[in-house]
Amino acid sequence: MDAQAQPITASVVPISRRATRSWAQRLFPYLLVAPTLVFVILFTLLPATRTVVDSTMEPGRRASDPFTFVGLENYGDLFNPSHHIGSRFTRILGNTLIFSLVTLGVSVPLALLFAMLLNRPIRFMGIWRFSLFYPSLLPLIGAASIWAFLYSDSIGLFNTILRSFGLQTINWTGDPNTVLWSIIGMNIWKQTGYYMIFYLAGLQSIPRDIYEAAALDGANFRQQFFALTLPLLRRTTLFVVVISSIFAFQTVEQLQALNQGNPADRGNLLLYFIFQNIGERRNWGYINAMTVILVAILLVFTISNFVFFEKGQEDE
Amino acid sequence: MKKTHVVSLTAFILVSLLLSLVPALAQDNAVTLDFYYPTAVDGPASQVIQGYADQFHQLYPNITVNPVYTGSYTQTRDTVQTEVNAGDVVVDVAVMLATDLFSFVEEESVVPVQTFIDEMDDAEAYVSDFFPAFMENGVDENGVIWSIPFQRSIPVMYYNADLLEAEGIAVPTNNEELLAAAQALTTAERWGLEVPVAGGFPIWLYQSFATAYGQPVSEADPTEVYFNTPESLAGLEFLTKLGTEYAVGPVGGSAWGDTPTDFTSGHAAMIYHTIGSLTSILQNADFTVGVSALPSGPAGTGVNDSGYGAPTGGGNLYIFASSTPEEQAAAWLWVQFLSSPEIQSDWGANFGYIAARQSAWELDPLKSLAAEHPQYLQSVDALQYATREFAAYRAIDIQNIINVALSSVISGSVPLEEAASVLATAQDQIDSLLADYK
Repeated sequence: MDAQAQPITASVVPISRRATRSWAQRLFPYLLVAPTLVFVILFTLLPATRTVVDSTMEPGRRASDPFTFVGLENYGDLFNPSHHIGSRFTRILGNTLIFSLVTLGVSVPLALLFAMLLNRPIRFMGIWRFSLFYPSLLPLIGAASIWAFLYSDSIGLFNTILRSFGLQTINWTGDPNTVLWSIIGMNIWKQTGYYMIFYLAGLQSIPRDIYEAAALDGANFRQQFFALTLPLLRRTTLFVVVISSIFAFQTVEQLQALNQGNPADRGNLLLYFIFQNIGERRNWGYINAMTVILVAILLVFTISNFVFFEKGQEDE
Repeated sequence: MKKTHVVSLTAFILVSLLLSLVPALAQDNAVTLDFYYPTAVDGPASQVIQGYADQFHQLYPNITVNPVYTGSYTQTRDTVQTEVNAGDVVVDVAVMLATDLFSFVEEESVVPVQTFIDEMDDAEAYVSDFFPAFMENGVDENGVIWSIPFQRSIPVMYYNADLLEAEGIAVPTNNEELLAAAQALTTAERWGLEVPVAGGFPIWLYQSFATAYGQPVSEADPTEVYFNTPESLAGLEFLTKLGTEYAVGPVGGSAWGDTPTDFTSGHAAMIYHTIGSLTSILQNADFTVGVSALPSGPAGTGVNDSGYGAPTGGGNLYIFASSTPEEQAAAWLWVQFLSSPEIQSDWGANFGYIAARQSAWELDPLKSLAAEHPQYLQSVDALQYATREFAAYRAIDIQNIINVALSSVISGSVPLEEAASVLATAQDQIDSLLADYK
């Protein structure tokens, strides 16, 4: 027994030391991430959980009244066309989807085109790059204010140009048929240069010899673009598509400066609509339900993009 | 020796303790008020308000006012509402829209100032010195006063007096004359009349048309809203046709911020706008600026017929229920100070709001300003025709419903022929919201 016990006892000390070291070592990474984790829990996870819970609640008439659990009723009301919020929500959700898809569908290819143009030796390269990137450097509210002047009905630059050619002026942000497109136009101008920078970095990381080899094999520009450039920029495109869709769903400042969602919600977007309703305490449940829907859409969109692009990567 | 030291040390500690208690004792009566205020006009408002706070502190050394600039009226309401939602209300007294009253009454977050007024020696004189139109939105259906007017305004009609004189056109006083004048003044480069209803808040000016046709959108009862009425429809049709049929202004109305610029730059001969823009318009116009009450509609031209129907606007002073009785009492002193004729005269002269106290117009600097620019007195004249601004329970939601409905018709998003249906749908939604309150 003693003979057996001795080696065990002997081995206990190093194991214990190892265990102590191992515990400290294991704790160390958690200590490193702890500050971030605390912030994520406090400012993301807890509010997110609270938002989901509050989306199933209805506030009472008095501020001191407890909230009433109403299940999914708030979500149902949002899709009820005769409800005071629901009658607006579906239109605004539709606007948001159109806005996001068109902004993304135009600005991302445009960013790639600009990046390809600027990735070859041309004169005044610095000026071209700066000109295209400059809009993204401007503060959003400042850029929107500039566009509010451009779009102004009586003294705006666009209508002044139209008038000088004897053409009919356009009420850019006041006409229900043009307002959403006016905001989209401003947004594309503002964001394209920013996405272009990512594509430019992506293009410059592709070795030139790949193209030289392809050219030797007789591949023309179109073939090189679709067979080499696009696939090699897949991860850049994934990143740009994800951030551009997030930006599109986060649009608020532009609306505040340009049209405040008017006229008749034809130029309104989801996050701005949520912001507009914050002042009415009785709508608290709806505000939270709309936020949950907004986050859910973004989540589905982001995951779909990852699946689509990663699957494409694997297929190759 | 040792004993002496102990005694000295004990005495020192006791004296120190007593001395340290003196500020605390002095602080016992000290009150600090968190005062939230928005402005809707340009100018150094924060410096002026801080100046008022300093003056007030000299009058009441134990009360310190902490002015917090809270942006726009909407931002101020959102800030207060966020505090109420969180159950941690910091604000003691605030300037908020007069029309917010019933939202705060409903959630019991403000206290009626009637309680304090009742304790005044000169209560009658204090209340009756306010222009009656400005008091209407501060009073509930039982006649209880909840808030006191501070920075108030009304919409008026601005006209290019030189132009009207050159064209031989008299200042229009009713809608028929208004339309005729606007048609005569419209050219390829200039609109005859701009009514800024293109933005997100068409309800304010629309109310004047609904009232001019005989039915205000709301009256004293905060559980009733009259949107789907023949008068309301007629007012909306007239307003819409100014752009679509009569072509005297832009289709869909003009934008709020662009309208004074259009007027001063000669792109519009007449405009509807707040009296709060008068100072800026006088500074920028290189012609004689005329100001008049909004022209009347079919409901009549007499004061009692209310055919003129300009709704009041602007902010009142509210005291919050979450404050301690001492803070509320101090807040009431601050409210009295801000609503005093002297401050009202100064605030009105600085920022173009209509001084809410009648006696304020007898005091400088407003008296001198009005003598120099008689247009300021026109706003006082127009006040006799002014009415309460829209107010009801669920006012924010109902305003949104009405604004979207109006905007859809005025902008042409929905054809004018379908306006009646739009009003009916909106009224159903409004009635549904108000059903709980009846």
